[in-house]
Amino acid sequence: MVLDDLGSSLRGTLDDLRGKSRIDEEDINEVVKQIQRSLLQADVDVGLVMNLSENIKQRALEEEPAAGTTARDQVLKVVYEEMVDLVGDSTELPLEPQTIMLAGLQGSGKTTTAAKMAWWFSKKGLRPAVIQTDTFRPGAYDQAKQMCERAEVDFYGDPDGSDPVQIARDGLEATADADVHIVDTAGRHALEDDLIDEIEQIEDAVSPDISLLVLDAAIGQGAKQQAREFEASIGIGGVIITKLDGTAKGGGALTAVNETDSSIAFLGTGETVQDIERFEPNGFISRLLGMGDLKQLSERVERAMAETQAEDEDWDPESIMEGSFTLKDMQKQMEAMNKMGPLDQVMDMIPGLGGGIMDQLPDNAMDVTQDRMRRFEVIMDSMTDDELEEPQSIGAAQIERIARGSGTDEETVRELLSQHKMMDRTLSQFSGMGDGDMQRMMKKLQKGGGGGGGLGGMGPFGD
Amino acid sequence: MFDGLKDKLSSFRSSVEETADKKAEAAAEKESAAAESAQDPARDEPDSAETAVDPSSGAAAATTTEDTDESAAAASSEEDTTETDEDDGPSAFKRAAAFATGKIIIEEEDLEDPLWELEMALLGSDVEMSVTESILETIREKMIGETRKQVDTTGELVERALHDALLDVIQVGQFDFDERIAAADKPVTIIFTGVNGVGKTTSIAKLSEYLADRGYSVVLANGDTYRAGANEQIQKHAENLDRKLISHEQGGDPAAVLYDGVKYAESNDIDVVLGDTAGRLHTSDDLMAQLEKIGRVVDPDMTLFVDEAVAGQDAVQRAKKFNEAAAIDGAILTKADADSSGGAAISIAYVTGKPILFLGVGQGYDDLERFDPELLVDRLLGETE
Repeated sequence: MVLDDLGSSLRGTLDDLRGKSRIDEEDINEVVKQIQRSLLQADVDVGLVMNLSENIKQRALEEEPAAGTTARDQVLKVVYEEMVDLVGDSTELPLEPQTIMLAGLQGSGKTTTAAKMAWWFSKKGLRPAVIQTDTFRPGAYDQAKQMCERAEVDFYGDPDGSDPVQIARDGLEATADADVHIVDTAGRHALEDDLIDEIEQIEDAVSPDISLLVLDAAIGQGAKQQAREFEASIGIGGVIITKLDGTAKGGGALTAVNETDSSIAFLGTGETVQDIERFEPNGFISRLLGMGDLKQLSERVERAMAETQAEDEDWDPESIMEGSFTLKDMQKQMEAMNKMGPLDQVMDMIPGLGGGIMDQLPDNAMDVTQDRMRRFEVIMDSMTDDELEEPQSIGAAQIERIARGSGTDEETVRELLSQHKMMDRTLSQFSGMGDGDMQRMMKKLQKGGGGGGGLGGMGPFGD
Repeated sequence: MFDGLKDKLSSFRSSVEETADKKAEAAAEKESAAAESAQDPARDEPDSAETAVDPSSGAAAATTTEDTDESAAAASSEEDTTETDEDDGPSAFKRAAAFATGKIIIEEEDLEDPLWELEMALLGSDVEMSVTESILETIREKMIGETRKQVDTTGELVERALHDALLDVIQVGQFDFDERIAAADKPVTIIFTGVNGVGKTTSIAKLSEYLADRGYSVVLANGDTYRAGANEQIQKHAENLDRKLISHEQGGDPAAVLYDGVKYAESNDIDVVLGDTAGRLHTSDDLMAQLEKIGRVVDPDMTLFVDEAVAGQDAVQRAKKFNEAAAIDGAILTKADADSSGGAAISIAYVTGKPILFLGVGQGYDDLERFDPELLVDRLLGETE
């Protein structure tokens, strides 16, 4: 994700401030240096980084922390606000008929993005159409056409045409029935005057409601100049960052947002047409700073629990807290977990768990955990209802049968049973506890043998 | 490309010069004052007096260190400063000697500000963080404690340090591409790898033209069986250039296409096979494993990594990963005409230890340039035209 490293290095630096009630200039300088390094490593423009860090420094030193806030929280608040200020809100895209034009460098992913956006609008109940005006790059027409077929949206293009402006005009006419027109253009960079003239003409012809700049997450310091030139010629209303599923941090997009005085509209995160997300600034920054995205997490939990419960009316999650935790509960819990989305995303949203602890886990920890959860699910599917309700009654013969039935081995079945036993024990210790004890519990869990062990107590995903 | 970096390098040079000159001036003043008072205590006294007497050496090339007075003082009188100064930087003896012979010594604090500026300039030119650090380290090593001879200007010293530091990171395992092709058994198989949208297919079209210009016959093989429009794209290039293209249906096995390409070349006496692959992000494990398989099945003579000159810090990350999955022999940097800094070139060469061979500089088939690191460094450090 964008700026991941800023999160972890910043957390490290900020942790050093823990417990201090006053911070001196030296502390701030250290934090600021860390921020500079991280932002630069994320490809944010050097000038922008200097401005941002200067603001943070000044505010952190001048502003009096509110009563009861620690120095660390104060710095965190300043950093948070400055970052939010920079990133801004997600680009406003009303769900109504409109024309959107895409622009960007060669290979930044405009054509793929056009199809993805069309798919996104179609899911919102609008009828989109993609108009392909790239007459230069061989294969552009075929690519756009195929992508639109996958997205199941209208498409217009002319494989034999040579005038993009004419195609754009014809395209708007031919797709007049559609609500949202997405005009894809040929890749160009801002230093090619004739191509810039061309896109200005296309803009004249289609008069888009908004023009979006498509940027590869890996773009470096050049983002500034590109953004500035595109802004000057067609006016950029928003930025789309593509290829965020790689390791690039997308800092160039921040530069572009700053340069064009716009905001981030979408994130591209994969090769299929569904791999597109609207940008969510608050959650994004919170996660970035290791504050967790509680709002989104609680929404996800509620939704997942409700869905799981709706499917099975007999199951009542409240009973867990009363001290009876059966395999069925565990099964439901795992189902709910799955509905929340990929585990690492969920973990990242938990304050205190996101970032800090995640950083310490090996890279494949989440994959391993998820594999394990899947295996456990298969095993539980091979159990009878009685066995699920009363796991202690499961004997050796049953274990053998379950292992055979689920295509696993007896050892894994035993693992599942002992995992359940452990969770049951942990939960019965906590049941009847007041809210005030929650913190103590969290502490205990975190201490309990570092990453894996700590998580083990929290659910069926210890290792 | 590289113009931005060039300007920044020259500003680094002048800011070091300025610092050194200031230092020299201050030292000269101090010195003449010391000479006037003419107390003659230290061992270097005769020399020092001589320097002071000779106004040309005193003013022009100048002497000693720092605008603070420690070294001038050490040279002219107070012996006790000798001990205290020994902990940091060049010893007072060395300084005294330098003072006497009309040299100045560059110290860490003289470079601190210019080096910080240089660091920002390099990062601002997309040179990756670790590579930047390595360049700075070399410069520090080469300059700090170095005595500037009377005949050298500070500018020359800085230039030499920059030259060495840059060449150190850019010039890695250079080889002559043309010679390698000429010497290799035919057909020569070259596979192109890289992330999505960097310009692999376009580079293949350009390189096929480059090779044809040099009298080689070329066949293209489309190993990108994944991306929508990939077959049509390379097909069009093949038609435009009148090259034979081997391709399979979309969704086929890329290794099989490339293998067929090689077989075709063998039976038709073709010199070079250029094999395209689908763009893939280095985080996609199965696609990277597929690259490994291609490497095993086709066993290419050369694997070229394609990346874009506009890429930032991440260029290093992906170059490393691609090099791990299918060892690369060199790199092609595309879209060099869109970029004014070129730090990616420096970084990729440094982390992979493999040379940049070509630059893509436009959308035409002949917009492909050979990349020569020494020429680049000379250009970077040369007089601004």
